[in-house]
Amino acid sequence: MHLAMRQVPDWGNSCLMFDLIFDFLFSITDWLRTTVLLDFAFWITETSLSLFMVTNFWMVPIAQVFHILAIGAAFGATLMFTLRVHGKAATDLSLEQVAGRYVPWIWYGLLVIVLSGLLMITAEPIRNMVNAVFWIKMLVLLVTVFLSLGFIKSVRTKAAASGAAWAASSGAKTTSILLIVLWLFIMLCGRWIAYVPV
Amino acid sequence: MIYPEPTNIWESIQYSPMGLSIAESLWAFPMIETVHVMALVTVIGTILVMDLRMLGKASTNQAVTQVSADTLKWTWLGFVVAAITGTLLFISKASSYMINPYFLTKMGLFVVVGLNMLYFHFVTYKTVDQWDSSASPPQAVKTAAIISLLIWIVIVFCGRAIGFTLGIYY
Repeated sequence: MHLAMRQVPDWGNSCLMFDLIFDFLFSITDWLRTTVLLDFAFWITETSLSLFMVTNFWMVPIAQVFHILAIGAAFGATLMFTLRVHGKAATDLSLEQVAGRYVPWIWYGLLVIVLSGLLMITAEPIRNMVNAVFWIKMLVLLVTVFLSLGFIKSVRTKAAASGAAWAASSGAKTTSILLIVLWLFIMLCGRWIAYVPV
Repeated sequence: MIYPEPTNIWESIQYSPMGLSIAESLWAFPMIETVHVMALVTVIGTILVMDLRMLGKASTNQAVTQVSADTLKWTWLGFVVAAITGTLLFISKASSYMINPYFLTKMGLFVVVGLNMLYFHFVTYKTVDQWDSSASPPQAVKTAAIISLLIWIVIVFCGRAIGFTLGIYY
């Protein structure tokens, strides 16, 4: 086999921003390792459900497929609701009709996300629970859930009170965009759980 | 780093400066993959909305053409971003992908789902005036939606399977 030296740009390994973020995340992970979470994670690895998940090769990928499909359903529903708030979709329907169509998909989607996520944690408790990115994700998820609850309730109430003349306030429009950004950030964390050093 | 001299087109792609940059970077592959996930959930989420309307299972108070107008641009935007990011992921490990059965199945399913879409658009959709507002569209419409949903689910499965099997085939 012929071997040849190849010139490779080295921008990939020398990104200061990523170095700083990695260092920060790793310091949190180091601290997590000193807490009871480590023992708890090890205890989970010995449960029969965890053993079942790891000894069957396809269990984790299948849990992830459910996770992704449910994210698609919930994020798609959030997107359509956001577009209606902005008057960019389903303008032939009232906000209440659009909420009736999509809001259940957000919450049932979230239920499947949580259940499949719990299975994935059970399969790989150390990689998940002794991991700064996982806890950042959980924190942002919690914020997103409560912000969604408050936002959907408030926008439905205002739309019902204003009738057909309802148009979203700029605050409501901003909040709806923020929720989309939070969902995207949660996806970012979800992928990076697998890549940050633990 | 020293790399073997490419012996076929896939290795040439993989050992190109761009392929190597993505493969060697600590953050490029995960970051591109993250954008891939964001794009594909947009595709899945909006296709689900359209397919459920075609099945008469949701949004029946809206015309099929209206739901299509609301969702299709997002489906395409998501698909284009997923295709670009997917190509970037591919070139970083091209020869591993090309011998992975799940990758090859996934590419084949894109052809099938594309043909299903073309047939629906150019044949079934011709008569949309007759069933646009129908709460329960004709069987041909429902069949197209079922095929679409099933294949997209299998495409997601193949995508995940690739991540778990890349490198175990030689």
